[in-house]
Amino acid sequence: MVNVKQALWGLGLLSLSGMAGATQYPLTLENCGTKVVFEKSPQRMVALGQNTAEIMLLLGLQDKMVASAFWPTKVLPELASKNEKVPVLTVEIPTLESILARQPDFVAAQLPLLLGPDSKVAKREDFAAVGINSYLSPGVCATKKNTGDIYGSRSQLWDMTLLYKEIEDLATIFDVEDRGAALVNDFRQREKALRTTFGHSKRDLSFVFWFSSASPSSDAYLGGKNSASGFIASVLGGHNAISSDSEWPTVGWESIIATNPDVIVVSSLDRNRWALDSAEEKIKFLKSDPAVSQLDAVKKGHIVVMDGQAMNPTIRTIYGAEQVAAQLEKLGLN
Amino acid sequence: MSISAENICWRVGKKVIVDDVSLSVAQGQTLGLLGPNGSGKSSLLRVLAGLRRPSAGRVLLDEHDISGMAKKQVARRVAFVEQHGGTDANIRVSDVVKLGRIPHHSPLSSWTPEDERIVNEALERVEMRDRSEQGWLSLSGGERQRVHIARALAQQPTEILLDEPTNHLDIHHQIQLMRLISALPVTSIVALHDLNHAAMFCDALIVMQKGKIVASGTPDAVLTEALLRDVFQVDARIEISPYHGKKHIHFV
Amino acid sequence: MTSPVRNRGGMWQRLALFSAAVVLLLLVIAIGVGSGELAIPLRTIFFAVTNKLGLTAEPLNRIHETVIWDFRLSRALVAACSGAGLAICGAVLQSLLKNALAEPYVLGVSAGASTGAVAVVVLGIGTGAVSLSAGAFTGAFAAFAFVALLTNGARGGNERTILAGVAASQLFNAITAYSISTSASAQQARDVMFWLLGSFSGVRWPEFQLVLVVVMVGLAVCLWYAKALDAFTFGDDAAASLGIPVGYVRLMLFTVTALMTAAIVSMAGSIGFVGLVVPHVMRYFFGPLHRTLLVACAMMGAILMVLADIAARTVIAPQSLPVGVVTALVGVPFFAAILWRARRQL
Repeated sequence: MVNVKQALWGLGLLSLSGMAGATQYPLTLENCGTKVVFEKSPQRMVALGQNTAEIMLLLGLQDKMVASAFWPTKVLPELASKNEKVPVLTVEIPTLESILARQPDFVAAQLPLLLGPDSKVAKREDFAAVGINSYLSPGVCATKKNTGDIYGSRSQLWDMTLLYKEIEDLATIFDVEDRGAALVNDFRQREKALRTTFGHSKRDLSFVFWFSSASPSSDAYLGGKNSASGFIASVLGGHNAISSDSEWPTVGWESIIATNPDVIVVSSLDRNRWALDSAEEKIKFLKSDPAVSQLDAVKKGHIVVMDGQAMNPTIRTIYGAEQVAAQLEKLGLN
Repeated sequence: MSISAENICWRVGKKVIVDDVSLSVAQGQTLGLLGPNGSGKSSLLRVLAGLRRPSAGRVLLDEHDISGMAKKQVARRVAFVEQHGGTDANIRVSDVVKLGRIPHHSPLSSWTPEDERIVNEALERVEMRDRSEQGWLSLSGGERQRVHIARALAQQPTEILLDEPTNHLDIHHQIQLMRLISALPVTSIVALHDLNHAAMFCDALIVMQKGKIVASGTPDAVLTEALLRDVFQVDARIEISPYHGKKHIHFV
Repeated sequence: MTSPVRNRGGMWQRLALFSAAVVLLLLVIAIGVGSGELAIPLRTIFFAVTNKLGLTAEPLNRIHETVIWDFRLSRALVAACSGAGLAICGAVLQSLLKNALAEPYVLGVSAGASTGAVAVVVLGIGTGAVSLSAGAFTGAFAAFAFVALLTNGARGGNERTILAGVAASQLFNAITAYSISTSASAQQARDVMFWLLGSFSGVRWPEFQLVLVVVMVGLAVCLWYAKALDAFTFGDDAAASLGIPVGYVRLMLFTVTALMTAAIVSMAGSIGFVGLVVPHVMRYFFGPLHRTLLVACAMMGAILMVLADIAARTVIAPQSLPVGVVTALVGVPFFAAILWRARRQL
């Protein structure tokens, strides 16, 4: 529970540190066990991964980007006009040559799938060999031994700490530390605001986050206890109704009914793989299925819609939390 | 003795397939192996060929125990012709016969004119020389068996073991094949079903029942109406044929 | 009187064909080096290669040089070796198992590789110290060991061996699916599946060195047993009657092919069709005798794989297709044509 005074103090301190000054070049950064040296601020950056690209756009660095790739969902609406300036190589997984064809001087990646020793796209040495600096999101470094798996956050609840580090790193690299600090600050404030609003009532709502299903009768893909969904639940003063540690458990509807959640969060996805990708279809199912429609949450209409990308551990998570919060307030569940 | 067996037992799991069989075949003889299905003929042949290790007893080639001999060494002496030697590959006749030279080669040794001569002779013997370039898949059953025998001959064996070689052949080829086998200078052991062929073409016979030998000796001695009733469960009348002087069985 | 003359003619003919195949292989590798999204002038391509070989010292665009040498050339060479290796394995397995549908993954190697890869990525086994490739290789070989155990060193007869392979594939695939559904994030699952689809994108020079050694040794061993493989034409008993130590040779050849396949799968994922179809095509043209067949398979597999890789990375650029998709799309019509012609022959 954070009170207003403390928040103001924190704000003050943060803004002070935000005026810490420009980046000193050459800049040496420790990233996922590799030392990266920046002689100067990069001018031609390629962002591999939607989250990385959106962070860059939020930092106002679209003019420094020459390409992006790997977009599971559409860009944040407020960033759409900035994003138009940045060519997209492909929304899927790009090839190394297509990246090199853009003549980058810096490549940052969101996932080991896109950059790393096991990646089919590129290894960090590939870029180093031609004098291009590389950066991998701290959230996916293979150096975390304490949380049990190389993607982190399986045995512990995910939080935004490593995202903040990534924002700060990128801000430092591009000599916009103040913008970075402001962005982190903004996210922290928004998180605090949500926690405050929803921390007052001691409701401890239980949430089920439904990502999608192949068909109404098959098991549903849910957000797991310690995943980004779990984080959203905790920020909103509640908890994830699903107790399995797995990040993306597939759960049958009988088990979901057994958890008797207070709120059902249905995700809306841009992709069109399954009919149940759309939020409308999900809601239709919830209300029409003979068993599920008997759930308290469904009868009371405690169903909220959230952007599906928020269930991935990215900056979109906080946006998703806010989306849910707004609807919860309308339902009087705050 | 060219090839002999002493107290061979062979079992699969608990079931005894070959039960205390002893035999010996003289050089150049043609021995016929008779018996109803399940009597253990095929298994005995395989043990004699060294393809199966007996659970008891031993097989001797000129008084040498084959279990002490290298497989290749055995293969240079003993050739085995299966009942259903088939393949999906369209291998040429000459290449099949060339396989018979494998026991005489090492992985790196090359083909010699001597090898060529032996292969050609074998093909001549089975009258397939003019079809040496033909593919396996276009051959008839009889032709395939003849090619197998040519391959066996190319091994230059002193003993040939054949497992029901005349099955699936038309009568012309059955007779032709049996004539060929009995005329071979090598020791042959042939498992047969046709009792009249056994009488016509074999120097000696062994009759098996349920894994044991129940009769052995010349066809004259072995083929009796009592035996036929007992072992083969058929009624027959046997007489000496006026045409070839050997026993001939009339089934009634 | 047959012709030593005809035989020698046969040998010269084969030598000529072999030389032509080598030239063709070098040609497709050159095409591979010249193809890609980065438009690199021919002059640069030529000098990039000669520079690295120490013959010249032309100053060149650093990115271009690296792309030519470290990415495109190494990739083409790995593709060639992998294609050769898979085709050889397919030929050997088809002969040993006397089954026209046998191919390199029939003994569960590919399924085991997926389990090994998942163990490293999803379950975090060997955290960080073990690469995905090493995990995949271990898994692949574990599956083979499982099959060997079930069949007592592959002595159990062909049907039993194939069934054991099917069982192993099912088992390891189930373990993979279980691990992914209970432990993986959606992203991890996607990572592993993508990795398994088959692609040469991740290979560099170290992979080439490894696969070259593996395939050369594998080919040498298989050629050593070429006569033994011929002896297996009519089955195990026929081979034994020709003096072949059947149990030993089978185990040796199964192990060598499993190692070759495991090495290839662990660096490039599962690439199907080459190991199944190339041996049939080569048997049609060159006959079933293994001394010629294995070499023919190696050359054809190499050429086909390099071409498939080129297509995989240029057809839908800037994305790349899984190589297995290309090999199937190209291989199937070719295979159908062969079947059609073979039909009329009989």
